Amino acid sequence: MPPGPPRQVKDQRFGAFVAAVLAGFGLVVLGLLRLQVVQHDELTRLAEQNRVRLDVLRAPRGAIRDRFGRLLADNRPSFDVVFRPMPAESAARARAVLDGNWYAQVAALIVDDTSAVRRRVAEANRTGQTAVLRRNAPFAVMAGVEELRADLPGLDIQVVPLRSYPEGAAAAQMLGYAGQINDQELQAREDAGYRLGDLIGKTGIERRYEEMLRGEDGAEFVVVNAMGKRVSGLEGSPPRPPVPGHDVTLTVDLDVQRAMEEAMSGIARGAAVAMDPRDGSILGMVSRPQFDPNEFSSGISFARWRELSADGGNPLLNRAIQSAYPPGSTFKIVTMLAGLHAGLAGRNTHEPAACNGGYTFGGRRFKCWDARGHGSLDIVGALQFSCDVYFYQLGLQLGLDRLGEIARDLGLGARTGIDLPAEARGLVPDDAYYNRNFKAGHWPRGVLLNLSIGQGELLTTPLQLATMTSVVANGGRAVRPHVVKAVDGVPTFRIDRPLEAGLASTPEQWAVVHDAMKKVVDAGTATAVRIPGIGVAGKTGTAQNPHGNDHALFVCYAPTDHPTIALAIVAENSGHGGSVCAPIAAHVLRRVLLRDSLATAPPAPRVPADSTGAAGD
Amino acid sequence: MTRARLPELDWPLLLAALGLVLMGLLTVYSATSIPGAHQGLWMKQLVWFGLATAIAMVVAGIHFRIYDSLAWPLYSISLVLLVAVLLVGSSKMGARRWLDFGPVQFQPSELAKLATTFVLARFFDHSKIDLRRMRWWLPPLFITLVPFALVAKEPDLGTAMSFPAMLVAMYFWAGMSPGRLLLGLSPVFNVALFFLTGSVAWFAGLFATLLVFVRPRLAVLLLFVAINGVVAYETPHLWGRLHDYQKRRIETFVNPENDPYGAGYQIIQSKIAIGSGGLLGKGYLKGSQKALAFLPMRHTDFIYSVVGEEFGLLGALTAVLLYAVVIIRGYRLAVVARDGFASLLAVGIVTALFFHVMVNILMTVGWAPVTGVPLPFLSYGGTALIVNCVQIGLLQNVALRRRES
Repeated sequence: MPPGPPRQVKDQRFGAFVAAVLAGFGLVVLGLLRLQVVQHDELTRLAEQNRVRLDVLRAPRGAIRDRFGRLLADNRPSFDVVFRPMPAESAARARAVLDGNWYAQVAALIVDDTSAVRRRVAEANRTGQTAVLRRNAPFAVMAGVEELRADLPGLDIQVVPLRSYPEGAAAAQMLGYAGQINDQELQAREDAGYRLGDLIGKTGIERRYEEMLRGEDGAEFVVVNAMGKRVSGLEGSPPRPPVPGHDVTLTVDLDVQRAMEEAMSGIARGAAVAMDPRDGSILGMVSRPQFDPNEFSSGISFARWRELSADGGNPLLNRAIQSAYPPGSTFKIVTMLAGLHAGLAGRNTHEPAACNGGYTFGGRRFKCWDARGHGSLDIVGALQFSCDVYFYQLGLQLGLDRLGEIARDLGLGARTGIDLPAEARGLVPDDAYYNRNFKAGHWPRGVLLNLSIGQGELLTTPLQLATMTSVVANGGRAVRPHVVKAVDGVPTFRIDRPLEAGLASTPEQWAVVHDAMKKVVDAGTATAVRIPGIGVAGKTGTAQNPHGNDHALFVCYAPTDHPTIALAIVAENSGHGGSVCAPIAAHVLRRVLLRDSLATAPPAPRVPADSTGAAGD
Repeated sequence: MTRARLPELDWPLLLAALGLVLMGLLTVYSATSIPGAHQGLWMKQLVWFGLATAIAMVVAGIHFRIYDSLAWPLYSISLVLLVAVLLVGSSKMGARRWLDFGPVQFQPSELAKLATTFVLARFFDHSKIDLRRMRWWLPPLFITLVPFALVAKEPDLGTAMSFPAMLVAMYFWAGMSPGRLLLGLSPVFNVALFFLTGSVAWFAGLFATLLVFVRPRLAVLLLFVAINGVVAYETPHLWGRLHDYQKRRIETFVNPENDPYGAGYQIIQSKIAIGSGGLLGKGYLKGSQKALAFLPMRHTDFIYSVVGEEFGLLGALTAVLLYAVVIIRGYRLAVVARDGFASLLAVGIVTALFFHVMVNILMTVGWAPVTGVPLPFLSYGGTALIVNCVQIGLLQNVALRRRES
């Protein structure tokens, strides 16, 4: 005999199993009795006279507002022409009703071809679910449907919330747009309860905050008659009301945004970012060219989408975070700070070689942007007039590691972690980078000269430049760029801490940088941005572009005594930062910082290009 | 080999199972009789049944000692396949459950179920077994948890839950006392009661009562009080950290009517179908709810609704009776089998069958969550039918050799 319990114990346990089986099947029998005896009449009525149909009650998406509650994205009702499938027992009758004439009439009404209507109706009848025949129908179509509805059984009108963007193209790339879910998204997000026809955020804030913005659809069982018309709600199964999505409040200030839109309106391609240097909140973000997100709400044609996304201008691209440019001379702020930080330069340091329009290194002549030369300058003057020769020499002393470290501390060369999708990384090259591209350890020191004036392999997004400017403005404290300030109904929402530690330099060193940047505006390369009564500190840049004309750049912050706004502006193929971007900054700062009466005053007269070098680098 | 007399099969069990298969074929024919994508599936099901019968005969012919010795290798293979299905499996309706082999799809969770039964039976069939000691009760827990977690991850909660169900039954059969079993299950009851009642008070009361009756050793007592304390504390916290859609899923699991256009839609249509069937049903092929797809998945997961609609209470109870015969005769085999492994094997297999029947039928009458578990023998589907027939084959295997030890 094998080990094991005696037969009597086995029998007891068998008894327990039998008891469990009887209890389980007893429950089944109770369930069957409840349905087939107790509720039989009621359920038979439902089965034989009427049918239960499920109507989805679409939840409105949360609104998006600026920091003062002004609407940037909202919902408006739209009207879909739908086909409601008919109940089972009238299937034969349905076949008789849905004749060629029915299809012809419906197709004519909604301006579609008959075969498409046939396909969707067949699908609805197969699945028992409502099919949309015409989305966002115009009034004329609606009127026609209303008029003929009695003669066209199954046809109905359904109200659904549609996304609308009251500011149109303003901040379009940052807001993104919500459109109908596609097959891939549906498959990937099935678990989250998405279904066909749902809206889903495709880009920008709409995508990044999809989980918050999206509501929860409600549903209602309705009892319908033989022709599919609603008779009543289902007893004992109250409708579940839709739960609207959370409203999202942005850090964006619509006034700043509008001022930036105006100022950038003359730029064909480019981007501008305005940031609060105290905490990294984005006050405004413009990317040009633009598109109108309202176009997507009701569904756009593939041809139009191709036009928007594949066109050379690519308006869907958010250049403020997705395009990376060489920073040009705006990077001299980094080189300068690195020099001060490393103790290689002080306020009155002159570099050994005076600027005579160029600098010879390794048998090659590196030009200064001003061929006439700047002479011997101290570090403040070097930034003020953007002397390349000065920064070539400073960069050579610094070396790649020290220069790169400060650049990264200021937020360059890595994603800032802004709460928007698809941010570009940019590039601050390091040893490893050059070792990959040159023979290990044998990359030419000449690259340093290019880097120290912001050319060469350096790539930065306008957002990174705004972050850099903010960190400089606030004296080295790292900030985390972000666009969302609060989510209504989610009190636990908070902004993540900065990704970088920031930059610890002495107050004296910061003072040198701040003074130099102020001089750039007061009497340097950016006099176009002078504003009476407001201190502005900035730096111009011109980035060589191998594919065409130079890009113009400008970064600044103001007011200088307690900065509340930092700006970074890039205009593609537009020439010099001082002459193109500085006036844009001036326009924004006037509108934002001056009292109302002065805000609209004409911009200060531009200084002639060749007198002070305002058109220069 | 002589064939002078009938082999010592468990004939009532076999006939009841065959009756269920016949009922299934008839109902699949009816459920797919309306024009549409699924027309003619009953023919395929018939072919599957032929194949399944052949496999079942082979399975019954091989001596159970072979399964005993192959338990661990089979278990290992099934775990590898379960991982594979998560990595490269094909997905249907949001779950990765199948591996594609050309035209044939294979569900590794089914192999895992059998392999786990073999391993558990092998483990429990030990002369020195003492389930009061951790050295004995802990390994089976791990053996079960691994495939359970992998199947739950697919996600296929219905099938996954059959693993712990099997384990509990086999613990019991192997000699664990009911009190200890309840004590071990207490964290599960703890969580379940929290979701049903929204408070920990209910569980606390029941747990205290249980402790009075079981009177465990101090160390065990402290351990379970601690575990349940942590569980009771963490459950609401965990709940708070879930995403909205995750909460919704769990709420639907507890109360399917909360998801009216997902699982709830099927349930309400199923209830109408069964309820309108009444005592005698609408007659074979005359069901109206099954038409026009008002009853989704009518030939697979919701086939019992078609039975209820067309054959009424009479038909529905016939099915229940046939299942009861299979299951009770199955447990009876566990009693009469002289070999420990065979006895435990029967308990594991029958419990898994019982669990699936309960989960599916209670779902169709609206008393259990919709989990996508097919009804054994009745639902359309090749893999499921083969596995069910293999299970019957294994039970007959035990029946054939019940006098061996």
